[in-house]
Amino acid sequence: MINLRPVTEGVGIALDALRSNKVRAALTILGVAIGVMVVMTIGSMISGINNGVADIFAQLGPRTFFVFRHFEAGITVDDDEDRWWLRKPRLSVEEADRLEALPSVEHVVLDEWAGQPIAWGSRSIARVGIQGRSVAWPAVSGGDLFPGRSFTNLEYYANTRVVVVNAKLASDLFGSLDPIRKTIRIGGVPFQVIGVFNPPPDIFGDGNQPRAFVPHSTFKKHVRQGGGGLTFLVLPEESVPVNQAIDDVVGTMRAIRGLRPAQPDNFDIVTQDKFLETWNQMTGLFFVVMLALSSVGLMVGGVGVVAVMMISVTERTREIGVRKALGAKRREILWQFLVEAATLTLVGGLVGMVAGAGITELVKILTPLPAKVPLMSVVAAIGMSILTGIAFGLYPAARAAKLDPVEALRYE
Amino acid sequence: MTDTIIEVRNLTREYQMGAELVRALRGVDMSIYRNEYVAIMGPSGSGKSTLMNMIGCLDTPTEGEYWLNGLEVSTMGDDALARVRNREIGFVFQTFNLLPRASALHNVELPLIYAGVSGRTRREHASGALSRVGLSDRVDHRPNELSGGQRQRVAIARALVNEPSILLADEPTGNLDSTTSEEIMTVFEELHAQGQTIIMVTHEADIAAHAHRVITLRDGRVHSDTKKAA
Repeated sequence: MINLRPVTEGVGIALDALRSNKVRAALTILGVAIGVMVVMTIGSMISGINNGVADIFAQLGPRTFFVFRHFEAGITVDDDEDRWWLRKPRLSVEEADRLEALPSVEHVVLDEWAGQPIAWGSRSIARVGIQGRSVAWPAVSGGDLFPGRSFTNLEYYANTRVVVVNAKLASDLFGSLDPIRKTIRIGGVPFQVIGVFNPPPDIFGDGNQPRAFVPHSTFKKHVRQGGGGLTFLVLPEESVPVNQAIDDVVGTMRAIRGLRPAQPDNFDIVTQDKFLETWNQMTGLFFVVMLALSSVGLMVGGVGVVAVMMISVTERTREIGVRKALGAKRREILWQFLVEAATLTLVGGLVGMVAGAGITELVKILTPLPAKVPLMSVVAAIGMSILTGIAFGLYPAARAAKLDPVEALRYE
Repeated sequence: MTDTIIEVRNLTREYQMGAELVRALRGVDMSIYRNEYVAIMGPSGSGKSTLMNMIGCLDTPTEGEYWLNGLEVSTMGDDALARVRNREIGFVFQTFNLLPRASALHNVELPLIYAGVSGRTRREHASGALSRVGLSDRVDHRPNELSGGQRQRVAIARALVNEPSILLADEPTGNLDSTTSEEIMTVFEELHAQGQTIIMVTHEADIAAHAHRVITLRDGRVHSDTKKAA
């Protein structure tokens, strides 16, 4: 039969000890609380970001893939080989045209970026992301256009100075006024607003950042280049498997660039799966680093637990003697002190969890990040704090359990 | 006569104190019977504390045999000794040794917890023991809310709650004034009258006088063993 009384008793004693030695207990649990708080906060932010990323891709259409001049997974560290990839040729509009002509490809959308000041009358914004895109961009991008429309082929080939603003930019510039047909200045050049783009919910804050879309042709001619580089968004023909479209794109690109079979690709194809995978690798690495940092917090807390429990055992030597005289076995004494240590760290863990959840809420309110406390973090936080208590409480508890009752009763 | 509860044969206990070998007990023989009221006396260094630890199963002898209520205790391991202490022995200490943060009731419950008795039964037995020592109105008081005499009564209730074979008291009046001491001796007298076996270690002759048999130790051996005429 398992006797649960020592557990409730141990919890009671630990809470008593917490109450009577507030400062000491607070210092002990601080390390554990910080460790747990960090784990909770990071966990919720990563899970928030992940959900957001998955959302974006879901809205982009799962079949769209990217052609980059260069794409690198993970975090790059500067070294001698830094920026070697700049020797790769830039992607060109001609290459996009050739890819567009492939039967397996429905659209190739050009995407190029620059940061420019925008002004309307006396209102101005110092730096807005301007994106030069192909006519078909609404087909591969999520969100919708209302009111107004996107640019037409005619406008595209005439390098017409028309612009689609996103909802954020519209409200920043025009407030509640109708943006359509207003003339704004992008880097000093006048453009006519023809539509408002309502982006899909998005975690990178794009939805909350002012942004403007112009025909790529106009972009090249009238917008000062920001060195963002050209990217292709490729939407395969509906009846064609994505992999076949990728093979065609790779083959065509290599042919255009005259690469011999032994030479590697000097461009990068990135599917959304690959993108997500890389993303997960990155956040995974991030998570491991954070976990390591927070384990340092838990270790510090653990050392505190050892110290406090040693003091507790010494202070209560006589009590241990009495308990043994009354019939407590070693195991029961060990258990009592383990429960006490685990209670200490559990309280620390709970404090850390509340703090972590608070920070998560703040992040949610103050940033566009849909941070969310995942159930796993809660379970992990509780488990980790209890484990810390047990692991670090083991030595003091074993000391208590091993005390000789005669010596312990004589202790002053 | 009546049946034996304690049987001690050639009990020897030696300690290594640095380079010196201390021979605290040098072959003690004695028998104590059910419902006896025994005082163990002797000057300091006579070995009476060592003998008390031995009888209380807190310590094991270097040599010799100790039978308690038919069990050979001298060869037992730690956990078995804990079990015997829990079932057979009720300790009363000079300094009461109550848990300061726990109520009188909880203090008395403690031996029952280690005996694995479940909640309600435990509380019933504990409050029963407290009323046996006249403290039924102090159940929820903490030790620091009680007088010295009351604390020692709580300790006696705790010693009795498991219905032990022997009540083992170590200088039970050592921290009490003479009036309160008499009060505690009256409690012992009543318990003895109800059939409780009591062994009391003391160096005070007037306290020992309450017992019905006095064993005196000197230099680790039994020096005298006298029974009061009934």
